[in-house]
Amino acid sequence: MDKNNLNNIPKDLFVPLVRKEDTSEKISAPSRTFFQDAKRTLLGNKPAVFSMILILFIIIMSIVGPWMNDFGSDEQDLKRAKMPPRVPVLENVSWLGMDGTLSGKFQGKDVQQATAKANARFDNKEEFIDIKVLNKGDGTRNSAEVEATYRIYEAKDMKDTYFWFGSDALGRDQWTRLWEGTRVSLIIAFVAAVLDLVIGVAYGGISAFYGGRVDNVMQRIAEILVGIPNLVIILLMMLVLKPGIISIVIALSITGWIGMSRIVRGEVLKLKNQEFVLASRTLGTSNGTIIRKHLVPNISGIIIINTMFSVPGAIFFEAFLSFIGLGIVPPDASLGSLIDLGFDNLRLYPYMLVFPAIVISVLMIAFNIVGDGLRDAFDPKMHK
Amino acid sequence: MKKKYAWLLALSLVLSMFLAACSGGGDKDTADDSKDTADKPKVEQTLNFINGDTIPSMDPSLGTDEYAFQFLGATMEGLYRLDEKGQVSDGIATKHEVSEDGKTWTFTLREDAKWSNGDPVTANDFVYAWRRAVDPATGSEYGPYMMGGVIKNATAVNKGEVPVDQLGVKADGDFKLVVELENATPYFESLTTFGTFLPLNQKFVEEKGDTFATSADTLLSNGPFKFSNWTSTAQEWELVKNTDYWDAKTVKLEKMHYVVVKESQTAVDLYEKGEVDRAGLSSDLVDQYSTHDDYTVEPDTSVFYIKFNQTRNKALANANVRNALARAFDKQALVDEILNNGSIVANGLVPKDFVPTPDGKDFREVSGDLMKYDLDEAKKYWEKALAELGTDSVEIEFLGGDNEVSKMMNQYLANQWTTNLPGLKVTLKEVPFEQRLELDTAMDYDMQFAGWGPDFLDPYTYMNLWLTDGGNNQMGYSNPEYDKLVNETATTLATDPEARNENFLKAEKILFKDAAIAPVYQRASALLVSPKVQGVFTNPFGATYEYKWASVGAEE
Amino acid sequence: MTRYLLRRVWYMLITLFIIATFSFFLMKILPGSPLQAEDKLSEEQKAIILEKYGLNEPIPVQYAKYLGGLVKGDLGVSFKFDNTPVTTILMDRIGPSALLGFQALVVGSILGIILGLLASIFRNSPIDFSSTIIAVIGTSIPSFVFAGLLQYVFAVKLGWFPVALWGTSAHTILPTIALAIHPMATAARFTRTEMVEVLHSNYIITARAKGVSETGIILKHGLRNALIPLITVLGPMAVGLMTGSMVIEQIFAIPGIGEQFVTSVMVNDYPTIMGTTLLFAFGFIVIILIIDLLYGLIDPRIRLAGGNK
Repeated sequence: MDKNNLNNIPKDLFVPLVRKEDTSEKISAPSRTFFQDAKRTLLGNKPAVFSMILILFIIIMSIVGPWMNDFGSDEQDLKRAKMPPRVPVLENVSWLGMDGTLSGKFQGKDVQQATAKANARFDNKEEFIDIKVLNKGDGTRNSAEVEATYRIYEAKDMKDTYFWFGSDALGRDQWTRLWEGTRVSLIIAFVAAVLDLVIGVAYGGISAFYGGRVDNVMQRIAEILVGIPNLVIILLMMLVLKPGIISIVIALSITGWIGMSRIVRGEVLKLKNQEFVLASRTLGTSNGTIIRKHLVPNISGIIIINTMFSVPGAIFFEAFLSFIGLGIVPPDASLGSLIDLGFDNLRLYPYMLVFPAIVISVLMIAFNIVGDGLRDAFDPKMHK
Repeated sequence: MKKKYAWLLALSLVLSMFLAACSGGGDKDTADDSKDTADKPKVEQTLNFINGDTIPSMDPSLGTDEYAFQFLGATMEGLYRLDEKGQVSDGIATKHEVSEDGKTWTFTLREDAKWSNGDPVTANDFVYAWRRAVDPATGSEYGPYMMGGVIKNATAVNKGEVPVDQLGVKADGDFKLVVELENATPYFESLTTFGTFLPLNQKFVEEKGDTFATSADTLLSNGPFKFSNWTSTAQEWELVKNTDYWDAKTVKLEKMHYVVVKESQTAVDLYEKGEVDRAGLSSDLVDQYSTHDDYTVEPDTSVFYIKFNQTRNKALANANVRNALARAFDKQALVDEILNNGSIVANGLVPKDFVPTPDGKDFREVSGDLMKYDLDEAKKYWEKALAELGTDSVEIEFLGGDNEVSKMMNQYLANQWTTNLPGLKVTLKEVPFEQRLELDTAMDYDMQFAGWGPDFLDPYTYMNLWLTDGGNNQMGYSNPEYDKLVNETATTLATDPEARNENFLKAEKILFKDAAIAPVYQRASALLVSPKVQGVFTNPFGATYEYKWASVGAEE
Repeated sequence: MTRYLLRRVWYMLITLFIIATFSFFLMKILPGSPLQAEDKLSEEQKAIILEKYGLNEPIPVQYAKYLGGLVKGDLGVSFKFDNTPVTTILMDRIGPSALLGFQALVVGSILGIILGLLASIFRNSPIDFSSTIIAVIGTSIPSFVFAGLLQYVFAVKLGWFPVALWGTSAHTILPTIALAIHPMATAARFTRTEMVEVLHSNYIITARAKGVSETGIILKHGLRNALIPLITVLGPMAVGLMTGSMVIEQIFAIPGIGEQFVTSVMVNDYPTIMGTTLLFAFGFIVIILIIDLLYGLIDPRIRLAGGNK
């Protein structure tokens, strides 16, 4: 292109720019507070939302579940002990394992011997046992194999009975016990988490807010306490206290608050020296108002996150205690005690372990995901 | 870049270490197997067993638990040893004479019995051991319990009233032992097979001092086997044939290997893999293995019952309440569904197949069912009881064990009582065995699930439990008539088997008329035992298993 | 530095003293004594046994003696094993637990770091997603459920490993895996978070701009800096291993210290309970101390002058 052309542009082509209002700084999105922002981020996090729905579902089930059938939680009948799960409609879907049959593989030197074993195993009620030959065998030891399916509900003349999640070794309905156990576990976890929260926030808050000597003394105490492994204290407490829900809560809370107090103290220390607090103080705002208006809103995010993580921790510890035999007192159940019982029957009646194990795992996973989601939500860097 | 490779190398090393470890382990196993079957035509006389826990003590005077007596029985020998039929057979003693009043027993000892350090086993070894067992300075628990009231002056010595050398046992030369008894004791012969009555080599014990019996090095053996490596905290140990044993030619087994496994499931898995030759089955495993070729049920003579403490809860002081409670639970269902291991319902105190009456019948059969499950009767008693107490609701605490089966049983019993007896509320308290003993001693319970295994072959081992001042009474039961009948069997009627038997029968009836206890079941154990384990049998008391005559047979 | 160290050791001693005191008096509240078949004993004998264990003296004297023993490294004599000092029992049991704990920590951290690293490199890819799932599941599923599953699948059904017991290195594999799952999940989560943050920092952008290779950036600049904070979670990991060992040693019949602790609790062997408690606490405190010191050494930004973080 010829450079000279640039100089030949007629002047009348230039029009003065009409001054418009400056829109570059205009806020087009609605103004949202920090919490609205956090909520939006959280609701945009699909796994977290799904987890929250799951948790809500489990909580609702733990309340209404036991009422959904007619069995009581301690309604025993040894005649119907160890019945496999059976659910109407689903019982026709064979691979679900909800059809109310027990099955097993039996070996013998020939089909006849294997079948005899199967019959012996299943109360010798041959008319209700379906035998399927897997291997005819050649006469040597355990060469033949049959698979036997035992229609136990029919055999026990309980065609109209449905144990949705099966029954335990004392003939109690697992469905009812599972949800009651879930309720107990959740109550323990929530109460322990709330106690952690209250004690931890109070301790950490006071320590940091007043500072100086108070802080020094309180931190020395906490420093020593944090050196004590909580597991050891929990076990020792369980030895001394009468077993039960309250003892478990006490044992869990006795050391559980320390983590929370440290976090709260750190946050408050950071906040109280910031300009907006200083400004507020200079203007003569009372301590109470400063705490209420400036500190609490700013640390609430981290408190909520931390509480979300202490709930699954408490669920796990309750299960652990019940598993080693220091937990809940029967006939009350908790997820831990149900798993403990199920563990003993794992090989033959896996359903006794599977359902409580699923519920506890789902609960813990869901709480962790929600906790993660909350952490992201309260982290301004992650806001979209 | 270099760093990255170093890091990967390190990682692959870690992984390969693991792989090597598992494949190495596998190879070794198969190699061993082939060697066993191919290279050696003769079967190796080695058995592998599981022990439920460590052996806390091998001191005969201090032993109190099942495992102590088990291994004392295998490594040592007393005056006699129980044979397959539960009858006494030759031990260190070859014969004995009893004086006419039945109070002086003279044992003749064999001269060829040796300790594993070469010293001969002499009458003095017995005198020393028995004195040590009752000497208060030893702090033995079983010593005074087993010897008190049996051997002359045992109780007085234990209380420190007379010196130890006044105990009624003397050595007449090296190979004659003279024992003086407090009263004629018809079952004394069987007592001498018990762990507490084993001899001890004085020189050795005193030389080892506090370390005696804490490891294989500080133990002497005079029985069929000896430890090759054992300490009181060992998780794994071996018993090997004791070549110095006087009857070593009878002992076929060369070696027994023990390992501690507490979980029943783990034990069974080890059995299935052929690593151990016997595994106990907890009741939840019975369903799975009851069709197994090696499944066996071992009957036992331990009886389990519920103790009613009459001193703490005033409701239990009422005989009608106790009668109602004792009849209000279905024992058959409990035995079949919860225990599920061959245990049988107990409707009396003295177990089945334990002792015969003088005319050769089983004591239990003659005495009959004294306390059966009977709902109607129970309800009648319960109504009467409520009327007498003037209330319509009663709350009782039930103290039970805390293992899996006990927990099931506790919940079942509590549920049976509350369902069958309207107005009754049962609260559960589950504690470990040791804590239950504490509460029992302090009589700090209402109802307690308890059991008793015999200490000698006589109904007296069960009947003396409930004497007013009986050491195991601990529930405030007292009936002068019962006391009189039972005491007579040990004193005035001691030498009259017929009359003794009559007294026992009468006493047992009184016990259940008072509903002092509620019998529940007589134990049996379900096991998987390899067919190659031969000649092992169970004793009615003392050491659970007898291995002296055991051997390893062919696999199939 | 020396002052800081001295102060930390001083706190350690106070903590141990408090634990010793706490457990001592707790054990005194509980019923229980070395008398095993108490009902079979006469009063005289009980007195003798109590004297042997020093239980006949007033509690303050017992307490003073216990503390005196502790200073000398004497934890008393077990109630359950006659004449066996608690220290002997603990020494016998510490080996398997320490080995398992070490293996689990090493295997868990290495696998966890790899997992976290992959997740951060391929952020928001299926790899990231599955690594997150593994991490969440690993932290969430109770170790005993996991251990039971491993035992059932790999030992019983497939027969690849010994079912239980202790002996060859093959015996340690399943328990190690069961124990390692938790440290692995923790390490994976932590590495990912740190890596994501580090990879966004300015020096990484600089390195990239300079033309450092991607591997170099990730390993040399990224991972090294991301791993420093990982040391802080080693403490919680060690605690997790302690909890895990109690049930896992039970399930795999391993003669370790966790199993011993649970047994002692069940049989009221108070001297052993107290000894184990102190040992656990001691181990825990030492680990925390080492971590704090290491952290100061590795990360030059942290100065240990005040000790207040």
